[in-house]
Amino acid sequence: MLGQGFVSAAAIAASVLFILSLGGLSNQEKAKRAVWYGIVGMAVAVFFTSFGPGIGGYWWLIPMMLIGAGIGAYVAGKVEMTEMPQLVAALHSFVGLAAVFVAWSADLERRRVMAARAAEASLDQFSAFAALVATKAPDELMFLQIEVVLGIFIGAVTFTGSVIAFGKLAGKVDGKPRQLPGGHMLNAGAAVLSLLLAILYLNGAGFWTLILLAALAFFIGYHLIMGIGGADMPVVVSMLNSYSGWAAAAIGFTLSNDLLIVTGALVGSSGAILSYIMCKAMNRNFINVILGGFGGSTGPAAEIEGEQVAIDAAGVASALNDADSVIIVPGYGMAVAQAQGAVSDLVRKLRAAGKTVRFGIHPVAGRLPGHMNVLLAEAKVPYDIVLEMDEINDDFPTTDVVIVIGSNDIVNPAAEEDPNSPIAGMPVLKVWEAKQVFVSKRGQGTGYSGIENPLFFKDNTRMFYGDARDSLTTLLPLVD
Amino acid sequence: MKIGAPKESARGEARVALTPESAKQLQKLGHECLVETGAGLAAGFNDDTYREAGVTVVDGADALWRDAEVVIKVREPSDQEAERLRKGQTLIAFFWPAQNEALLEKCKAQGATVIAMDMVPRISRAQKMDALSSMANIAGYRAVIEAGNNFGRFFTGQVTAAGKVPPAKVLVIGAGVAGLAAIGTATSLGAVVRAFDVRPEVSEQIESMGAEFLFLDFEDSQDGAESGGYASPSSPEFREKQLECFREQAADVDIVITTALIPGRPAPKLWLEDMVAAMKPGSVVIDLAAEKGGNCDLTKPDERVVSDNGVVVIGYTDFPSRMATQASLLYATNIRHMLTDLTPEKDGVIHHNMEDDVIRGATVTHQGEVTFPPPPPKVKAIAAAKPKKKEKEPTPEEKKAAELATFKAQTKRQVTMLAVGGALMLLLGQVAPASFMQHFIVFVLACFIGFQVIWKVSHSLHTPLMAVTNAISGIIILGAILQIGSGSAVVSVLAAISVLIASINIVGGFLVTRRMLAMFQKS
Repeated sequence: MLGQGFVSAAAIAASVLFILSLGGLSNQEKAKRAVWYGIVGMAVAVFFTSFGPGIGGYWWLIPMMLIGAGIGAYVAGKVEMTEMPQLVAALHSFVGLAAVFVAWSADLERRRVMAARAAEASLDQFSAFAALVATKAPDELMFLQIEVVLGIFIGAVTFTGSVIAFGKLAGKVDGKPRQLPGGHMLNAGAAVLSLLLAILYLNGAGFWTLILLAALAFFIGYHLIMGIGGADMPVVVSMLNSYSGWAAAAIGFTLSNDLLIVTGALVGSSGAILSYIMCKAMNRNFINVILGGFGGSTGPAAEIEGEQVAIDAAGVASALNDADSVIIVPGYGMAVAQAQGAVSDLVRKLRAAGKTVRFGIHPVAGRLPGHMNVLLAEAKVPYDIVLEMDEINDDFPTTDVVIVIGSNDIVNPAAEEDPNSPIAGMPVLKVWEAKQVFVSKRGQGTGYSGIENPLFFKDNTRMFYGDARDSLTTLLPLVD
Repeated sequence: MKIGAPKESARGEARVALTPESAKQLQKLGHECLVETGAGLAAGFNDDTYREAGVTVVDGADALWRDAEVVIKVREPSDQEAERLRKGQTLIAFFWPAQNEALLEKCKAQGATVIAMDMVPRISRAQKMDALSSMANIAGYRAVIEAGNNFGRFFTGQVTAAGKVPPAKVLVIGAGVAGLAAIGTATSLGAVVRAFDVRPEVSEQIESMGAEFLFLDFEDSQDGAESGGYASPSSPEFREKQLECFREQAADVDIVITTALIPGRPAPKLWLEDMVAAMKPGSVVIDLAAEKGGNCDLTKPDERVVSDNGVVVIGYTDFPSRMATQASLLYATNIRHMLTDLTPEKDGVIHHNMEDDVIRGATVTHQGEVTFPPPPPKVKAIAAAKPKKKEKEPTPEEKKAAELATFKAQTKRQVTMLAVGGALMLLLGQVAPASFMQHFIVFVLACFIGFQVIWKVSHSLHTPLMAVTNAISGIIILGAILQIGSGSAVVSVLAAISVLIASINIVGGFLVTRRMLAMFQKS
């Protein structure tokens, strides 16, 4: 058994390592080291806590850890990079559920201690967490209860929310916003009811209040995320990321464990900032995204004149052969069609021919912040030609050819030109300023937001219909 | 139907309304085509090429006017030609009904239907028959060519062994179709081109053609969309400002091309005598508005005038006719499109549909009645322009003030937040036990560190960031570890499950992050 001093020192070390780990993500090269900081930090934290004072139940602990590690390793090795969003969402749900369980357990232990106190039995019989609870004063126990309520509530919302987000991202649940009749009133009602239950619980009601509270929070998580459309998933996933952090922090308070508090706060603020960045990239209010649906439209959208002109692979190829500078704008469609490999081949060929090829990535392209970067990295596209929106947006007028692969709203000129458009004011990639734009798209349908895209009707736009991967594969031999 | 094109009777008119090419297309509509002998000669089409295209060549104007059921022409008919019109006959030509009322009455009296090509409404669908635009395009091109012919220097700047040649500076006034064509031609010859128009919304078009837009800072700019894309008369104040701008330019530019016309009015005088006097000798003014009186004080219609200081002022009115082949090809195509619309069944029968916006708009007499002016078209010519945002360059003082204001606002916000936060902490401290407050300090500091650290994360690494924070949030496992040794079986089971799923989270999250990061590589 290690002493409390060891455990505290380990907690400090782990906190520092976690901070370094997150800070190291400021660039690609440092990031490779940063992930090791995280791994070592976690190993230190788990090891020293496991063998710290007052810990038992190794017969349970070690096998469970090994099984969990095995499953985790298997899943991480098997997952496709295009499935990254759903994996992250699924993993969030675990944290949420664990938080609920831990909070329940904390209350059960409290009850046992209270019962023993009431019976004036000896408090020495308690082991593990219960022993800690036994030392607490009544006002501390009151706060412990508040923390339990918070832990359960946030954890439960995270759990069902993540499960639904996973379902939507994996295509197992319909991506369209869908709500039960009553809409947000149901959520508000459930929240009020939860508050009532929490007050009852704080005034000494039984364990059933906590179970009911969890059930209500489960419902809120489910219903809240069901009401959010697929295009807003980057915000949802980072928001759930944030929640899972706050849940961990709440549990940290319950268990009086600073390491849990620090880590939870780090994760919570990280997710909050990511959500903020995503919302800003869509020019939307966080509340607006969470309550679902596009709002704020003030009038009919401007009508679009003209027609979409299709082009075949040979036409695209000849334009590419003539071009000196090319910018590729990928979107979710590229991920769906698994076209990143074909894109990478095309880029290699064009670069070999001495052309300037770059990528323009919108902050909300894909279903996860930074999704496109990961896919392109997987396809071995060098990261120094993959640029952010702000870095590349001024270069479009001097670009010969822009290829838009499976993105729609993020290149929609209506955001700038039509004040009545639901996405008015959202920063977009100004691809239409280039000399020629090719849009690789499955068909004539609208994007996730269901908004018509005037880009497709512009004079310098040609539609390259078909599955992105098939289109690019037919295009490839024609480019020299 | 028999469609006939007579030889133009107006002096110097070289264009023709029917080309062998358009005749072939008209025959596909089921029409029969006639042409007067020698009608196309001046435009470069002799009678034999017409015959090869299946056109009947008719000797003499009388025979043609008698045989043809539809007469197509370029210029409005002369009195003599108008007398040849008969009931049921259709005439398609430039007619200028507003200026030629007597002629209009005459055609009505003869019972003929007259379609004026200059009255085709400016809507998208009618662009293919917009002969005014196609002629203006030619006029703009030709204006530059005429200017080059009269200008003693290169358009383009060159550095040669024999010395440096500065580029010619061209000012185009009025950026309608002719003006834009002139801008395009002059820039492609290498000149430095500036352009002015009273309608600020055309600045984009001017810039797209490669010219610099002379911006006039004036409140009451007009919106051309309301008048169907044409300019309307401007206020005296505006005019003064405009002339001032031109006066500044006069000494600098080598070639001025004026194209300013206001429908149904004499051309506005924009290039005054003193401006011509201010120009360098050898400079050229081409006045495309000469027919309507000219934009330049010195313009004499159809003449080349040389001013006292050696500035050439050209007031030709027949620019399209000076490029007769090109003009005829385009005009004949416009006419053919009009006839295509008039023959919807493609069976050689003209169906004069007065419900059609385009046909209704262009028809000036029909079935013995004057149908001019037409009612406004049902489709609006151009979508109303969106109000333009005017951005004024802030002065340094204003900038400073604005910066100070934002700084103050930020300070105020931060101080307020700190005050509110502090007050809340105080309140919390009143009720919360000391042990809680200790943990709370740690929590707040950790949040701050989180905020500082995460802002620095690169955008492209957001997905790895999510994966790694996700793995780290598996720290919840500590909670389960702390509880697992409990004496209560329920607690133990719950904790064990938590350990299991948190382990999946930790290992899965870290491994997947590592996989992702390993893929990022430099080129």
